[in-house]
Amino acid sequence: MLKRPAAVLGLFESPRALLSAIELLRARGRWSLEAYTPYPVPGAEAALGLKRSPLAAMVLIMGSLGALTAYLFQWWMNSVDYPIVVGGKPVDAWQAYVPVLFEVTVLFAAFTAGLGMLLLLNRLPDFRHPLLSSKSAAALTRDKFGLALEPAEGPFDAGAAEAALREVGAEAVEVLNQPAPPAPVKPRTLLLLAAGGALACLAAGLGTYWTLKLFPALPPMSHMLEHPKLVPQKPSAFFKDGRGMQAGVPGTMARGRLPYPCKTEACASRLANPLPRAAEVLRKGRKAFDTSCAVCHGALANGRPLLSEAYGAKPADLQSSRFLSMEDGRIYHTLMTGKSAMPSFASSLTDDERWSLAHYLRALQRAQHAEDEDLR
Amino acid sequence: MSLLSLVTGLGALGAAAAYFAAGPERFWANWLLWQLLLLSAGLGSLFLVALEHLTDARWSIPLRRTAERTAGLLAPASAAMLAGLFALPVLYPWAHPGAALMPHGAAKSAWLSAPFFSARVVLCSALWLLAWRLLAGGSLEQDKTKAPALSVLARRFAPFFMALFALSVTTAAFDWLSSLEPEWYSDILGVYFFAGIFLAGLASVTLLAVHLIGAGRLPGVRFDHVYNLGGFLFAFTVFWSYIAFAQYLLMWYAHLPEEVFWYQRRLEGPWRTAALALAVFHFLIPFFALIPRDAKGDLPRLRWVAILLLGAHFLDLYWLIFPVLGPDPLFSWPEVSFALFFIGAALLWIRRSLAQGADMPIGDPRLEEGLAFRL
Repeated sequence: MLKRPAAVLGLFESPRALLSAIELLRARGRWSLEAYTPYPVPGAEAALGLKRSPLAAMVLIMGSLGALTAYLFQWWMNSVDYPIVVGGKPVDAWQAYVPVLFEVTVLFAAFTAGLGMLLLLNRLPDFRHPLLSSKSAAALTRDKFGLALEPAEGPFDAGAAEAALREVGAEAVEVLNQPAPPAPVKPRTLLLLAAGGALACLAAGLGTYWTLKLFPALPPMSHMLEHPKLVPQKPSAFFKDGRGMQAGVPGTMARGRLPYPCKTEACASRLANPLPRAAEVLRKGRKAFDTSCAVCHGALANGRPLLSEAYGAKPADLQSSRFLSMEDGRIYHTLMTGKSAMPSFASSLTDDERWSLAHYLRALQRAQHAEDEDLR
Repeated sequence: MSLLSLVTGLGALGAAAAYFAAGPERFWANWLLWQLLLLSAGLGSLFLVALEHLTDARWSIPLRRTAERTAGLLAPASAAMLAGLFALPVLYPWAHPGAALMPHGAAKSAWLSAPFFSARVVLCSALWLLAWRLLAGGSLEQDKTKAPALSVLARRFAPFFMALFALSVTTAAFDWLSSLEPEWYSDILGVYFFAGIFLAGLASVTLLAVHLIGAGRLPGVRFDHVYNLGGFLFAFTVFWSYIAFAQYLLMWYAHLPEEVFWYQRRLEGPWRTAALALAVFHFLIPFFALIPRDAKGDLPRLRWVAILLLGAHFLDLYWLIFPVLGPDPLFSWPEVSFALFFIGAALLWIRRSLAQGADMPIGDPRLEEGLAFRL
């Protein structure tokens, strides 16, 4: 196949020689010039008359986009998707966003600068570049300064370009030929490639599978699970007697847990509800009812919950006449002691919650047994 | 008598009147601010000179005399700081009579005593003046003798100065700024102050260089040289912001009472506006103004950015110092008088130094190399 010259490369000893050659040859205007240097030569850009690269604008835009992305991402996660209070700070605290915002800005900008320069603007990798066939390709990355003349338009007279380069002081001149077009791929090669790829996938998959089978996974960082918290019925190094559970300090009582004097229902029926029938109290009672009672007694307290089919128990119908006339104190008592299948709520509800619950139950009962005057 | 001396004199009168009309507290707060501003311009420039010797920089040799001249502001700054020692019993709670009751603990009490404080101020000033004498004075001497040995001496001295500089700047920041509220803790304040100092020094050097280039007194200084100054300004704008935010973020997160009250005082009420202005003028505007490549070597732009940054450094010091006087920012004729006096005095001092020696270090054997510098 006939070799077609693509460019003529001249080698120069120093950046200064290169710059003066560029100046002389650009004045003739017959060729388009390209410099190949081991490092950025100051002034080469101006001498070659290169246009300002659009990279700076790209980096600015992508950097700003990075900042915006990081901000919106954090704002959405922290104040829309999963608001959670950390360290007593507001959920949407811009201060906490700044480090990530800064990093993502830098990330976007740096990737744009690096990849944009290599892939987008210089279209690398380019394995068919004529320069790669040059004898002096290695020297150009080391200590020589190359200037290539390529045809600006029309047919390329390699001889004239060679002469011009020698004239402006090139110490060596070389004609770079157009590389041969790539040979067409044979079907056999394709088949082999596909088989190789499939084999590699199989090997990787099986390898991973058996590795995980044979070598049990190491626990992930578990030290956060191993904090010295108190666990019921377990020893603890925190207290002197080595037990995790401690009796109350003599002569004190916990907040919201007043001592309960009654042993019998008769005693309890004489207790008066200490809380007023106020909206705040009813709200609290509703919350406690929905949390602790509605599962069994139903949201309307009529003993028909959604789950009754599943476990086959018969929770009391709190709307029945027996409960309509029951005193608040006895409701409180049942919550303290439990009744048949119902457990005690002495430790899982506070005093206030139990009394509020009694009020709320009254509201539920009234809602199911409304009188005419309620509608007026 | 020139207009400049007239303005300076007027400022001096106003400042003196402020002592009696506005009270010693306000007088000394202003004094403290301006002594630190002078110190920033001078010491920042001196740091630049030392840095250039340390790294054997080539690009900066034609501009080094400019930096040596603005570094000369260290002399009036040191004088102002000695006078500033009178501010101790007025502004600094630990120097009040009966200060033993202050809640800053025994460890701090040992450090915060008037004689020890004065000794530190004198020692630091002596160090800076000595370094200035060696670096700038040596350079002036080299104009006449052309002795390369002086360059070697400067290069050998620079690393020692760097180490002592770091210590002395931290000390100055803790002493003059931090101890205004002695119960406050911030390890990073020294770096914060350094960032402000270096930026102010760079801005002064840039301003003077742009002026001298405009007057045709720096032949051979071209885009390539000025570009580096612009790059420095840009880089340290970002550095200052980074450090300022780092200090704020950690204290905001930790929310310790002995740290956070300091920010509470400076971020609530009218001071919030000052803090926001600081973010705008000390970061946003100079940052975006200096982003484009050509902007870093563009003389008119560099001039206004340098002036802006000096103003921002003033605002920074104002925001650091003045909240101790009260919850409302004070700004009226006493502050203006102080500004007139100190700016006038600084310009007079610089004008005086412009008459001494050549405009470039003509004795430096590497001046040619420096002029040939290309980006």
